[in-house]
Amino acid sequence: MASATRPAAIRERVADSDRSVGRLLLVAAGALFWGWLVVSWINRWLGGVIVPVGQPLVPVGAVEAAFGAIPGLAAYAADAGFVVELTPVLSRGTWLTVVITGVSLTLGFIIAVPLAVTRVYGRFSAWLSLGYTELLRGTPLLAQLFVLYYGLNLASYVPGAVSGVFARDVVWVAILGFTLNGAAYQAEYIRGALESVEEGQITAGRAIGLSKLETIYHVVLPQGLRYAIPSWTNEFVYLIKYSSLAGFITVPELYYRTNQVASETFRYTLIFVVTGMTYLALVLTASKLMERVEDRVSIPGLGAEREE
Amino acid sequence: MSDPGTLALAAVASAATDLPTGDVLATLASVGESGDWWFIGQPADWEFVFGNADYLGIGALLTIGLTIASILLGFLVGFPAGAVEVYGDGLLERAVSTVGVVLRGTPIVVILIVMYFVVGVPQINLGIASISSAMTAGIMGLGLRSAAYQSQIFRAALSSVDDGQLEAGRSLGLSRFEAVRHVVVPQALRRSIPGFQNEFTIVLKDTSIVFAIGLAELLTRGYNLFSEQTTAVLEVILFISAIYFVLTFTTNRALDYLGDHYAIPEGESA
Amino acid sequence: MSDDDFLRVTDVSKWYGDEKVLDEVSFEMDRGDVTVLIGPSGSGKSTMLRCVNRLAEAQEGSILLDGEEVLSPDLDVDELRREVGMVFQGFNLFAHLTAVGNAALGPRRVLGLSESEARERAEAQLERVGLSDQFDSYPAELSGGQQQRVGIARALAMEPKLMLFDEPTSALDPELIGEVLEVMHGLVEEGMTMLVVTHEMSFAREVADEIVFLDDGHVIERGPPEQLFDHPEEERTGRFLERITSHD
Ligand SMILES: Nc1ncnc2c1ncn2[C@@H]1O[C@H](COP(=O)(O)OP(=O)(O)OP(=O)(O)O)[C@@H](O)[C@H]1O
Ligand SMILES: [Mg+2]
Repeated sequence: MASATRPAAIRERVADSDRSVGRLLLVAAGALFWGWLVVSWINRWLGGVIVPVGQPLVPVGAVEAAFGAIPGLAAYAADAGFVVELTPVLSRGTWLTVVITGVSLTLGFIIAVPLAVTRVYGRFSAWLSLGYTELLRGTPLLAQLFVLYYGLNLASYVPGAVSGVFARDVVWVAILGFTLNGAAYQAEYIRGALESVEEGQITAGRAIGLSKLETIYHVVLPQGLRYAIPSWTNEFVYLIKYSSLAGFITVPELYYRTNQVASETFRYTLIFVVTGMTYLALVLTASKLMERVEDRVSIPGLGAEREE
Repeated sequence: MSDPGTLALAAVASAATDLPTGDVLATLASVGESGDWWFIGQPADWEFVFGNADYLGIGALLTIGLTIASILLGFLVGFPAGAVEVYGDGLLERAVSTVGVVLRGTPIVVILIVMYFVVGVPQINLGIASISSAMTAGIMGLGLRSAAYQSQIFRAALSSVDDGQLEAGRSLGLSRFEAVRHVVVPQALRRSIPGFQNEFTIVLKDTSIVFAIGLAELLTRGYNLFSEQTTAVLEVILFISAIYFVLTFTTNRALDYLGDHYAIPEGESA
Repeated sequence: MSDDDFLRVTDVSKWYGDEKVLDEVSFEMDRGDVTVLIGPSGSGKSTMLRCVNRLAEAQEGSILLDGEEVLSPDLDVDELRREVGMVFQGFNLFAHLTAVGNAALGPRRVLGLSESEARERAEAQLERVGLSDQFDSYPAELSGGQQQRVGIARALAMEPKLMLFDEPTSALDPELIGEVLEVMHGLVEEGMTMLVVTHEMSFAREVADEIVFLDDGHVIERGPPEQLFDHPEEERTGRFLERITSHD
């Protein structure tokens, strides 16, 4: 009996250590990725204090030499050098990707909450809200960006106050597009969460003398928004990925910049594998971050039902 | 190779400079002039759009075909993948879930370009018709990405079926595989309809992104049209958006019906 | 029927659609009185209670609270609810707030007390219901009896002049009922005016000044507990009491 159970126990422990090694590697990769990004950004803002602006943080030659020195990796020395050469483009594009995502998500959220609240508690406004979300969720995001950029030519109408914040005003068109689109999706998630807050919570709020609006604000939203975190994380991840569509309206974000290099160098394989990995790193960071947020704001008994 | 992808992007880049097109103020002015408050754009441009309805119609058919093919591929790959994630173990389970994470964490435009340029899927000749390599790349990219999402839908649905169901099946003398196949899967499939509905419309809308590899579906055709007659930009995009809206709306209602039709009385809401 | 009744309910009727759920209900209470509403399920007890703080709207009749017409369309409903506390069968604790947070929300947001004043008041009320060591527990971390006591503290924190209890112990396991009834006993001794719906007949007999028996929206019979329990005048009252005590 004892001998029969041992292999299983050992296998379990091996799997465990395996997993913790994997986790450690992931954390290390994440630290390296963000360290590189932040240092590159700071270098650019400060006008090239570490290396001249546009240069990789580590010399291409050194990396090629290092790869060349290791027997198994020598064949990849040129590729590694090329990737290092690409890093300034990557960090620049990623900056815009991060900014567009962050700003659009925040603005979208600010619109989404009232949209969801009117959808659940409004009368006539519920229909307006429904129409808005259905329309925006029923058509492709790329078509919406085309309407704003080609159809309405909004890039020429960016108000003076915000014009010039980015090197190109078209960035605002992309932000507007993602905000309007994201608001519709976020509103849908928040609506679902608000509807899952029990009726008795509202009754109790009203019974101590809170008005309907106060009850929504102090009682329903704090609970509903917590319920909404998991699906809201999805929206965050979606937005990071779909921000790449801004490249189609000439916003120089990550995809646009690497695609430009690809069409000049024809090294599609390497460039797009690296681009994909960069997006993947952003996405994984976002979902880890949101897991943390969810833990931080979690309350015993709230949202636990959802795990079943 | 002379790649349409680069062409499409080059077109985008040039459009940015050459196409300062449908103008907000002009558009609004035309609303005032025509007197029809509901009418956006110029009658002549709408004529241009309707004159090219056939051209756009073929694009819409291509969009539908691409959607159906991708969803099917996604189902064929995604369902087993979901089952592996629930019932599998060891290396296979980990490999499947890792590939899933990568596919779900990468923008679809990057996946499409990798399919097109990197995997370099060939043109497929079916004798009567041939499928262009852009089409194959589109189906592969959208299909495999969809598989990664569908696997999650099925994974959740499979694990939501009560363990007692499997036990009850086994107690009748079914093997584990048979119990899963005849007891768990039928329930899980029904439960996955809402998630599936969502996935269907996502794929439908994302077919527009094959624009990146120059496949002439609805959005690309719209783009070609308004590049030709630059005053009709807004009219063309609104027209194709309306087509997309009708497609997603009908799909949703059809799947709603399916969901109601196959719903298992009670318990479904839980 | 004296003019200085604290609560005077006169001929209150209410319909849900075509269904008349309250039919000319009348009763009155003095300050410090305890009135218990009893009756079979669906007889309109909860509805009557909810009409008093306007969670339900009575269509006919009059409810005078401290001389003011509750049913008047000009009445500030939120003001009314500030002065009338309510305890629910299902507790309805705010799930995202701790015990103190639950009891402090009203004082803070409705009465406009400062954060610390509201907290102080909440803590005092939680002590009053015997929960001094559960200040920072969330509802899900409390037993049913404890949750209901938080519900009572939440209502008391508004310093109401009338308390409404809608079957406060019906959702509790038998061994947890006692602690809630004990808290209610305490309130009675302190002179709180209470309108209570309950099936706890021994509690009713002990503390009630008057029992009102409702059936099908009508007041069938009312009177002091000894009279109503021991010598019911109406046959229906007797049958109801028989049924309910045989269950105990
Ligand atoms: N919101 C509502 N809409 C329609 N009908 C209602 C509503 N609330 C209560 N009713 C009906 O009014 C009648 C009285 O209900 P009420 O809840 O007041 O009874 P009750 O005496 O409190 O019963 P119980 O002992 O079961 O709590 C019932 O027939 C009920 O179906
Ligand atoms: Mg009741």
